[in-house]
Amino acid sequence: MFKVTFRFESGEAVETFATSGENLLEVARKTNVAIDAPCSGNASCGKCRVKLVGGELESKKTRHITDEEYEQGWRLACVSTIEADVEVMVPDIASAYRSRMKVADLSSPDEVAIFEKTKQGLEDAGISLHNSLRTVRVSMAVPTLDDTMPDNERLTRALKKELNTEVVSLPYYVMRRLPDVLRASNFEVQCVIRTAANGHVFVYDVYEKDADVVIGGLAVDIGTTTVSGLIINMETGEIIGKASSGNGQIRYGADVINRIIESTKPGGQERLQDAVIQETINPMIEHMCRASGFDPKHIYRMCVAGNTTMNHLFSGINADHLRMEPYIPAFFKTNSFFASDLDIHINPDAHIIVAPNIGSYVGGDITAGTLVSMVWNRPEFSLFIDLGTNGELVFGNSDFMMSCACSAGPAFEGGDISCGMRATDGAIEACVIDKDTMEPTFEIIGEAGVKPVGLCGSGIIDVISELYQCGIINPKGKFIREGKRVRHDKYGMGSYVLVFQEDADSVKDIEITEVDIDNFIRAKGAIFSAIRTMLASLDFDITMVEDIYVAGGIGSGINMRNAINIGMLPDIPLEKIHYIGNSSLSGAYAMLLSTEAEKKTYEVASNMTYMELSAVPTYMDEFVASCFIPHTDNTLFPSVTLK
Amino acid sequence: MPFNFKPQKFNASIKTVEIGCGDKAIKLGGESVFPFYTFDGPIENAPKVGVEITDMGLINATPELIAYYGEGASMADMAKKAAAMEGADFVYLSLEGGDPNGENKSVEDLVAVVKEVADAIDAPLVVAGCKNVEKDAELLPKVAEALQGKNVVIMPAKEENYKAIGAAAGLAYNQKLGAESAVDINLAKQLNVVTTQLGVKPESIVMNVGTATAGYGYEYVVSTMDRVKAAALSQDDAMLQMPILTPVASETWNVKESVASEEDSPEWGSREERGISMEIMTAAADLVSGSNAVVLQHPQSVATISKMIKELV
Repeated sequence: MFKVTFRFESGEAVETFATSGENLLEVARKTNVAIDAPCSGNASCGKCRVKLVGGELESKKTRHITDEEYEQGWRLACVSTIEADVEVMVPDIASAYRSRMKVADLSSPDEVAIFEKTKQGLEDAGISLHNSLRTVRVSMAVPTLDDTMPDNERLTRALKKELNTEVVSLPYYVMRRLPDVLRASNFEVQCVIRTAANGHVFVYDVYEKDADVVIGGLAVDIGTTTVSGLIINMETGEIIGKASSGNGQIRYGADVINRIIESTKPGGQERLQDAVIQETINPMIEHMCRASGFDPKHIYRMCVAGNTTMNHLFSGINADHLRMEPYIPAFFKTNSFFASDLDIHINPDAHIIVAPNIGSYVGGDITAGTLVSMVWNRPEFSLFIDLGTNGELVFGNSDFMMSCACSAGPAFEGGDISCGMRATDGAIEACVIDKDTMEPTFEIIGEAGVKPVGLCGSGIIDVISELYQCGIINPKGKFIREGKRVRHDKYGMGSYVLVFQEDADSVKDIEITEVDIDNFIRAKGAIFSAIRTMLASLDFDITMVEDIYVAGGIGSGINMRNAINIGMLPDIPLEKIHYIGNSSLSGAYAMLLSTEAEKKTYEVASNMTYMELSAVPTYMDEFVASCFIPHTDNTLFPSVTLK
Repeated sequence: MPFNFKPQKFNASIKTVEIGCGDKAIKLGGESVFPFYTFDGPIENAPKVGVEITDMGLINATPELIAYYGEGASMADMAKKAAAMEGADFVYLSLEGGDPNGENKSVEDLVAVVKEVADAIDAPLVVAGCKNVEKDAELLPKVAEALQGKNVVIMPAKEENYKAIGAAAGLAYNQKLGAESAVDINLAKQLNVVTTQLGVKPESIVMNVGTATAGYGYEYVVSTMDRVKAAALSQDDAMLQMPILTPVASETWNVKESVASEEDSPEWGSREERGISMEIMTAAADLVSGSNAVVLQHPQSVATISKMIKELV
């Protein structure tokens, strides 16, 4: 056994023991030391850098580490094995992925406005925003020596009478609180109840008569890369708290396939479930509740929207069959999960609504998103696009709907981009480059004078569009002009310096590299080719699409003109393209708040046809054609011109 | 009902690219019909056949080639004999000895070989690099410079090195450029787009869209060439109208059917005949799929394919 010490930049350290030959990244994972490894430890991404500061480490040299850096002690954790006592420094950047993800979580006024519009749309479609939870007030006779009925029966009887029902259930949580609450409140109490369709009543909680009862609900969007959540008032729909965070599962792989493979290893299902619940969702709940002074036990219902893999890993159900032919999930729809089953720190009896999946790669995030996109409610044809790690599309109208999924990677959420960051203070959200001087001007989130830190999703689109339009990069994303801002490393890889270090709030220059651009081109290529393939399979032309609804974490700052310029969205009039925010989260909110919306989602899901793109022979061809700015067939983008 | 012949007319044509100088100069492309569709319209420039020699001389050559060129033949001798082969239209010199993972010959040594070959013949010349993208980016501009005025094809320019090779061959020294992509219509077009954006004239580009030996996933080759020609003619796609030049010998003489000895595979019969068959079958398939020129090695293949072309055009 050898001692392994992980030291953080803050000076804190974690010690553990490992046997000879153990992989350092595995040791870190077991010890819960967060080291980003999007490639899941295949030495292909180069993100799991650590610095050897003491002892010995057996480590291969890779192309990600220069000779100079190797001298300084930099190693990739995934190719390092323990051979002796060792101490390594884990740089902040290796664990920063957890906080630097870009999430649309209703933190800006624009997003709140979009959200309000969504709610209005649902109400206009005749969906009432009400649910089966409510508070009832009952008073009971105070027990005496002549009236010796036990507490639970006393309450049950009172409720039966008040609600005119045959069956009332009291769970353990209520039983435990009952004697004290009844006596403290002189046998006049308020109960949080649910009335089921058959009239049976379930009691979630009892409060004293003067208590200010707020029935809480929790909506969570579990994305492959990011997780966002809302705590709401189930009676008014008001938002009590909001939070977002990187998905703790990221260290087990950037995409769903790597996660599933990880989950099949011994103890893997538990590790992945813990990563999303114990490390991600529970801390978010704690954070939201602390910020708003809300008691998490007062959250009586939860709704989860996530892709099919996320739903399986979240519930700790074997996901392995999702990735293997014939791709069968354990469930499309289920109502058998409760908070206590999954150890979510809210009321233990809270029921968990899961937005239904419709295929192994089109999940609840899309059905929930489709609900709020309102595609199902219009006679005109519209296209709904969710830009996430998995890009998903829904096309159709009130008569039919078709959906498909494609793998876009984390680029839209700022992952896979060396200077990517979430849309918070210091993020470059818009950019214009002068064609002659090649000098950029920016719009930066935050107060006037704030220094730039990195690029958020909408900024990346702008930068790539401007670089192309100024002839600085070619349609393949490679640099073809030289200047003081264009650099090449010793392998010839080009980059463009957006902000030099002296003007940036960063320890190095903020630059976008050919690899970043290539990652983004692949992401946009996956989306555009999926659009083309799906429409072609229905013999539809893009001109027949009335409206396009774009959702996802990319942020409300997205410049649709530039999104067309780089060939991410089809060349149709700008007024037909609408950004609808994080539709998965809005959909989860709607399903949580409204029983009718929940039913509607099940209906929408069962009406949707799922198309497996990998089974379409032309998809790969379309993808290669789309990995070009704007497209190999430039007649598809007549409005795109150079500056 | 009597048969009523309706020719398929296109308002587009494959660009004409001229290689070489003087009487021996050849033209590739120019047609407005599908390959060998002479019943739809004229094919003025019949497909051409090139003969491959390499800077390695006869070091790795088969006994039949050593017999043809004669043991101890100099590069100049080989070039002359290649140009004189029955049915040969041009000579294709491969500089495989430049590969850093092989002989790693210097740029100067290779340029000397190129000059020796070019001076020995008046037939049109195509010079191919060593396939290592970094080495080619260094080597091929020097070759283009050394052969100024000879109007040769310099190849392969690939996505990774088209800038250096395209700027030298296509712009500075006014040669023709061979753009190579890997059996994918979109990648072929993308390379032509970025190359022309560099300033290289479309009329100075020939494409090598790649080939496989017949039987080795060859369906991809057929569909790629087929679709390139269809897009060029029926959709008037200017970025796919460059003629196609396909090096065949370097593929077919490396598969087991052409390599396995008669001792190891007696049931397969003569190794030489097998090799010739693979070369002829692949070249014939490439030509009917859309190649405007093929590059071969064996004298019998060159004679057979050139006879086939003469009879069909």
